Amino acid sequence: MTWYVLRRLAVSLLVLLGISAVVFLMLHLVSDSPGRVVLGQRASPEAVADFNREHGFDRPVVAQYVGYLGRLLQGDLGRSYKLNEDVGTLLARNAGRSAMVSLAGLVLALLIAVPLGILQAVRRNSVVDRVATAASYVLYATPSFLLGLLLIAVFSQTIPIFPAEASQSHSPWVVFTDPRAMALPVITLAVTSIAVFAQYQRSAALDQLGQDYIRVARAKGLPERLILTRHLLRNACLPLVMLVGTLVPTLLAGNLIVESLFNYPGLGLLFLNSLQREDYPVLLAYTLIGGVLTVAGNFVADVVVAAADRRIELGA
Amino acid sequence: MSTADGSANTDGGRLLTIRDLSVEIRRGDRIVRPVRGVSLALDRGETLGIVGETGSGKSMTGLAIMGMLPAGGRITAGSIDLDGRELVGLPAARYRAIRGNDVAMVFQDSMTALNPTKRIGEQVAEPVRLHRGASKREARARAEEMLALVGLPRPAERLDDFPHQLSGGMRQRVMIAMALVCEPRLVIADEPTTALDVTVQAEILDLLDDLRSRLGMSMILVTHDMGVIARHADRVGVMYAGRVAETGPTSELFARTRHRYTQALLSSIPSLTQDRGEELFSIPGAPPDLTVVRAGCPFAPRCAGATDRCRAELPPPVTEAGGHVHACWHPAEGPAARTRARLVVPAPAGSEPTGSGPTASEPTGSRPTASELAGSGSTASGPRLRVVDLRREHPAGGAGLFGGRRTVKAVSGVSFEVAAGETFGLVGESGCGKSSLGRMLVALDRPTSGEVIFDGEPVTRMSARALGPRRTELQMMFQDSNASLDPRMRIGAILREPLAIQGVGTRAQRTARARELLRDVGLPASVLERYPHELSGGQRQRVGLARALALDPKVLVADEPVSALDVSIRSQVLNLMRRVQLERGLSSVVISHDLAVVRYLADRVGVMYLGKLVETGTTDEVYGSAAHPYTAGLLAAIPEADPGAPRAPAAARVRGEPPSPVDPPSGCRFRTRCALATALCGQEEPPLTPVTGTHHVACHHPLGREESRS
Repeated sequence: MTWYVLRRLAVSLLVLLGISAVVFLMLHLVSDSPGRVVLGQRASPEAVADFNREHGFDRPVVAQYVGYLGRLLQGDLGRSYKLNEDVGTLLARNAGRSAMVSLAGLVLALLIAVPLGILQAVRRNSVVDRVATAASYVLYATPSFLLGLLLIAVFSQTIPIFPAEASQSHSPWVVFTDPRAMALPVITLAVTSIAVFAQYQRSAALDQLGQDYIRVARAKGLPERLILTRHLLRNACLPLVMLVGTLVPTLLAGNLIVESLFNYPGLGLLFLNSLQREDYPVLLAYTLIGGVLTVAGNFVADVVVAAADRRIELGA
Repeated sequence: MSTADGSANTDGGRLLTIRDLSVEIRRGDRIVRPVRGVSLALDRGETLGIVGETGSGKSMTGLAIMGMLPAGGRITAGSIDLDGRELVGLPAARYRAIRGNDVAMVFQDSMTALNPTKRIGEQVAEPVRLHRGASKREARARAEEMLALVGLPRPAERLDDFPHQLSGGMRQRVMIAMALVCEPRLVIADEPTTALDVTVQAEILDLLDDLRSRLGMSMILVTHDMGVIARHADRVGVMYAGRVAETGPTSELFARTRHRYTQALLSSIPSLTQDRGEELFSIPGAPPDLTVVRAGCPFAPRCAGATDRCRAELPPPVTEAGGHVHACWHPAEGPAARTRARLVVPAPAGSEPTGSGPTASEPTGSRPTASELAGSGSTASGPRLRVVDLRREHPAGGAGLFGGRRTVKAVSGVSFEVAAGETFGLVGESGCGKSSLGRMLVALDRPTSGEVIFDGEPVTRMSARALGPRRTELQMMFQDSNASLDPRMRIGAILREPLAIQGVGTRAQRTARARELLRDVGLPASVLERYPHELSGGQRQRVGLARALALDPKVLVADEPVSALDVSIRSQVLNLMRRVQLERGLSSVVISHDLAVVRYLADRVGVMYLGKLVETGTTDEVYGSAAHPYTAGLLAAIPEADPGAPRAPAAARVRGEPPSPVDPPSGCRFRTRCALATALCGQEEPPLTPVTGTHHVACHHPLGREESRS
């Protein structure tokens, strides 16, 4: 098991190195003269060249990349020239908030989808199953911005229960203790995931219900409830664990829409604003963070699945 | 346990009485009636064997006793009396208290029969905690005790293992421990050894017998294998189409077979002692559709002795002396005589093939030898197929970031030759590399080293382009015709495809050829328009053979050609294959774990063990005077469908299970399971050395003629 984790970790680090190289190169191709961007169209070519030389942007790409990696290892993500702030500080401030809303959405989605999916599998082709499946397809096909707008229209305008704007506080604690303000963004995030997770969970559970060990458990005289909790649950959740791990970046992308819709100052909103400002150091850092989260998500999923299902170690 | 001991320690009490049991299962708007008026009885300490083919209702009877009918299933009539308690109509909660406690079930081993994410100790302990209310620690101690009883080595260390860490035989032992942990009065074993190798099967069945008498249980053994029944059951129920055709004490039933179906079934099993010159008896047609209720005896449409009465009236059960009950209007007298239909050497092309029935017989049981046939049709003078020191290694699991890759040594230096018109049989247990070898023979896989030389040309070194046209001459017939026929293609398209790929003829000509092929394998032309799922297993396997023959190959490799088929269908396909071999002068390689099948089809046989050939010779030599202890052990492990057949002494059995092909033992690979192994066997690998001109064995201590089975 230890060896397996170390191996997966080493592979993850290699992947991250690759991601950083590709992202760096792409941004370099898009804008090879940051001085022009920072100083504006009116600045003289000399001033731009001076700026680039001063900050090392005139060196060969490889040298710039190595320098960037070096600073990265020291925890320096660069500096936003537009906001005149450390990118690290900027991201850290927003990441906490993004993580909170993503996590809340994810937990809510799992809490509903896992039991729902298993219920659908156990009562296959019943009315419950059919209704849930139909609802899943409709919700899955609904874009999250539309869903968010509908939720605002209904629960904020027509029946004013929740505010249309998310909490603006910079303190996660304040955000955490103000569920009313976060309700709509979290629900918007969760609904789409519930649709996907429940269908996934349903098919995984159906798959497991057909396995012989379920029949064996029945032959032991176990009541159905215990068969589900003791034997089915764990095996039926493994595929979902894998899926959730790989969904982490999608959650960030979802944030992009939900955060801008509810004007919630998280990573997604920061990314959108930076895009408009052509603030490349921020974009570079955001993309890299996305890569780290994806890789970390897969890594954690692999390890959790391997811990839950000991056959993986042999097969991987 | 022999049948004699079995009845000796019986205290005479009836444990289970099934009366007129009927089951129906609703599937959509169809109603299947898998069990129709079944009556069976079981005494304490006795083993009742329920035997039948797929769809005979034997498993469903077992599930009905367990109260575990599939969704949509219910008992429509009859009663199940367990020791004075009526099980039919018992409330769910009270049934649960019986399941796993008074009545337990052992299922067929499959990878998923044990929960993959729970430790085996927990799984074995679960019924004890449930039914006996034992504490965690008590249950664990009981599980350890039980695992020791079923012969799991070092059970205390194994309690925390996961199922995938055990071999198939060990998993089945765990499954048995799980069923018996509450010491039930009745255990139902549903095909408990069907997925296991023959040597392991023998051990598991002996274990079940032993436990049954030690724990004083009764057992219902559900199986399709008449051999298993003959060796392990005290009483037999033969089922056909949801009804009991015949039931009675084992020795009585085998000696004085009354029902025509039982008789036909017994005759169609290829045996190890049968005259190989005879054609196998086969039952025409296929088992009936269980959704329709038809008047008369269900076996009548396939029965040679059927009369109008059989087709009109259902035969009632008739009880004879000794509790022998049968349901047949025209009962037979004793076991069937063999058919005496001889296999004939085909007349020159153009003549109609002779299916069955007595024909001009050859003087002896011997088949036309390869050399006789080699003269016609073959151009090369050498062997048609030559395999030289063939090796294949697959990477095993994940490789480390550092360090070498571990490999599965699937095939480790195999050499043999197949002459034109000859059939070479490859036998061995699962994982011995016989299928890997088969795939390389037809160039579906490339060897790690060594060569396959076909008509003087090494196919293993050809480029894909050069191989293309060569493939017409090397064809393969697969085991699972369900998986090897494209479900979305009609049979016509499946048969035309190889011709189209090789650019043979026009579309109309290809269709004509497809029709011809179907006729050759005994299928009507209407099959052309059918989809694979519309055909029965036997028909699909015929299509598989037709497809392999479409391009008129010179070499046919058949990998487990009949393993997926029921006995009555199996003999039809075996007869067909043998006829085709003879008619076409094909060189074929037949791969099977079933020694009787290989014996029936092959002229020469190679026995494989862990990637190596341990013995080769003519079929009579290998089966008649096996020189390798492994071959002798395999032969001893096969249960003959005859309760009177002499048992091989326990010492001749092969013990344990094959070691991993990742790290094969040094020296002789078989030494870890061999009773005769000495220090020499561990140091030096025995080469294949001749016993006679055609008989070779790789053993330091080959069995003498007098020791082996004759």
